[in-house]
Amino acid sequence: MSSETSGPFLAEPMKRLLTALLDTLIPASPDGKMPSAAEVGFEAYLHTQAHEYISALEDVLQSFDSNFSDLPPNRRHELLEHFSKDRPAEFSSLLARVYDCYYQDNRVRGEIGVVQGAPFPQGNDVAQGDLSLLDPVMENRDRYRYRSP
Amino acid sequence: MSDDVVDVLIIGAGASGAAVAWSLAETRMRVVCLEQGDWTRPSDYPTNAANWESQAHGPYHIDPNVRGLEADYPINNDDSEVIVVNFNGVGGSTILYGAHFPRLHPSDFKVKSLDGVADDWPIDYDTLEPFFEQNDQIMGVSGLAGDPMYPPKDPPLPPIAMGLVGETAARGFNALGWHWWPSDSAIISQPYDGRDRCVFLGPCLSGCAQGGKSSTDITYWPKAIRRGVELRTRCRVREVTVNDQGFADGVVYYDENGDECLQRAEIVIMACNGVGTPRILLNSKSNSFPDGLANRSGLVGKNLMFHGFGYVQGLFEERLDGHKGPQACSILSKQFYETDPSRGFVRGYNMQISRGSGPLNTAMAGYMDGSIPWGPEHHDAFRKRFDHTFAIGIVGEDLPEEHNTVTLDPKLVDSSGIPAPKITYTYSENSRKLIDHGLARGEEVMRAAGAKEVMSAGPLRPTGWHLLGTARMGDAPEKSVVNRWGRSHDVKNLFIVDGSIFVTSGGVNPASTIQACALYIADSIKKNLTNLFD
Ligand SMILES: Cc1cc2nc3c(=O)[nH]c(=O)nc-3n(C[C@H](O)[C@H](O)[C@H](O)COP(=O)(O)OP(=O)(O)OC[C@H]3O[C@@H](n4cnc5c(N)ncnc54)[C@H](O)[C@@H]3O)c2cc1C
Repeated sequence: MSSETSGPFLAEPMKRLLTALLDTLIPASPDGKMPSAAEVGFEAYLHTQAHEYISALEDVLQSFDSNFSDLPPNRRHELLEHFSKDRPAEFSSLLARVYDCYYQDNRVRGEIGVVQGAPFPQGNDVAQGDLSLLDPVMENRDRYRYRSP
Repeated sequence: MSDDVVDVLIIGAGASGAAVAWSLAETRMRVVCLEQGDWTRPSDYPTNAANWESQAHGPYHIDPNVRGLEADYPINNDDSEVIVVNFNGVGGSTILYGAHFPRLHPSDFKVKSLDGVADDWPIDYDTLEPFFEQNDQIMGVSGLAGDPMYPPKDPPLPPIAMGLVGETAARGFNALGWHWWPSDSAIISQPYDGRDRCVFLGPCLSGCAQGGKSSTDITYWPKAIRRGVELRTRCRVREVTVNDQGFADGVVYYDENGDECLQRAEIVIMACNGVGTPRILLNSKSNSFPDGLANRSGLVGKNLMFHGFGYVQGLFEERLDGHKGPQACSILSKQFYETDPSRGFVRGYNMQISRGSGPLNTAMAGYMDGSIPWGPEHHDAFRKRFDHTFAIGIVGEDLPEEHNTVTLDPKLVDSSGIPAPKITYTYSENSRKLIDHGLARGEEVMRAAGAKEVMSAGPLRPTGWHLLGTARMGDAPEKSVVNRWGRSHDVKNLFIVDGSIFVTSGGVNPASTIQACALYIADSIKKNLTNLFD
């Protein structure tokens, strides 16, 4: 399938394969608080933010058997690990996209304590810090005198 | 255009170009600045989007060779242990800088007298003191008076919140009985001069959408333009021309349409930074100056200094909120700033506390170093690291050596066909020892602060953010390029105001001192107007 299409770009079974791949890279957390990478809109992300990556992703998907999605998680993990060793550059560029998408998700952000959406304009609160910690420096100020030429 | 003669022509609208333009504007001379880049729009900076971390690898990347914008020129770093980083546009590198804003120390101007190395500056801290002060006011600097490591100074705004990161580091320094102090930061902690305060977005190094960071496009430039300075953007200077009397009489530049133009001027001021300025001077060859303009000493492009940069990271049990900005500004330590011969090297370094990274950078760095795997272990490992780290940057003095150079690359050119700079640079043994010492001391601080894991690395390569020394200041024309007030020894109406004129680098980030020098040189020009070319 061409990466020029504007709608969902993957047909079954590639779609299933991608879902399994994402789910192996970042599975949901056992307590259910953190979603799997397959649940955070990766396809939409590709279309809106990483369009240039689509054909490289298609190449990555081609290198897995179509039964990948039917394998148990530990077997999928092993296969992905092989891939990461055989083709490290391709793997790390896949991972960068998956992480980029994952850590923009509002549910994920909420769980890890990062503002949802863009940092600007809402910003963050930062503790002023306790300036009385400077007391020992002030007490020893003579030790710290700058060197006078 | 060629009949139009302006009084003052400034090349480069960055940290120093902005300051000199503002200062000279009060003379009512006709001041024009040519800048190869454009204005940036704060609404385009990455922090306007949820994917701010990946966007920082795009048009606001710190490496011009990666950014590759029309305003950028390529830089050949193949023979350099350090990669040059910068920004080309109104505001220059202050668009991307961390705004950590310490001044050089009094001792930094006298390293020959004190330690028998390199050369003393022909000026000293006291000469620059009023201009540091003036610059702090205009830029909007936050900090705390009373640091015993400096002569008295009083920043106009209270310090930037040091946060849990700063407190944790401070406890480490206190446990060791070492100096620390809240950093002077060119970031406004309170509303100031019509600008709203920093809201701790995080990544200052890809532009500040809030405008809390004091880059010169929002500090000096609006004031300079209101005072009548004309700033022409997307105008790239190829060379400075000279007349038969050996005076600079203008520049050849390419305008926004790529057309070659000539701008005549009575005074030419170079403010293109420690790489851009020697590049243009070396490219300005004539019968009078066959080796490049203002280069009878042969020192244009030589003595390039960066600051060796080492990095120590600590991992803590408790959450430190490090992804909340400002990245590069919290506290610092000058415990090892001055020479102590027992350490086996001369001069010293600043320990600059920097905060943590955002989630994407944390996850990717964790993948690279093996600390955060993908797969079922990911969430747990990520939680233990994200917002649980901070770093100490070791910024070390780099002494001048003639073999560290900016030259013209024989092949590489920019999009206007102007030869690109080639960097040749190796760390000296002194710089390496100094960084090694800093890394070991940084690890001590981390442990004293309670870190459960510590890693360190350095000197690191993509850290050429401080570009210094390539047109040094001095009283002797055979040993320096400009005199004590920034005027070329060889060309009496040519001035240099950027980091090129540094005689030595000091061990702190240079922007504050670069701008103080630019204001001081502007002041000297004003004071000497009647006999400027004598
Ligand atoms: C990522 C990063 C982080 C940094 N962090 C800090 C920090 O925390 N603290 C600190 O003190 N310093 C920091 N610095 C360094 C600081 O920004 C520079 O030292 C300072 O901006 C240099 O000022 P300058 O006037 O010499 O040059 P610049 O500010 O670099 O300005 C030079 C200008 O000249 C223009 N120019 C060059 N050639 C030409 C030409 N041929 N024609 C027309 N225009 C031209 C350029 O486009 C540019 O706008 C940092 C720099 C970077 C890149």
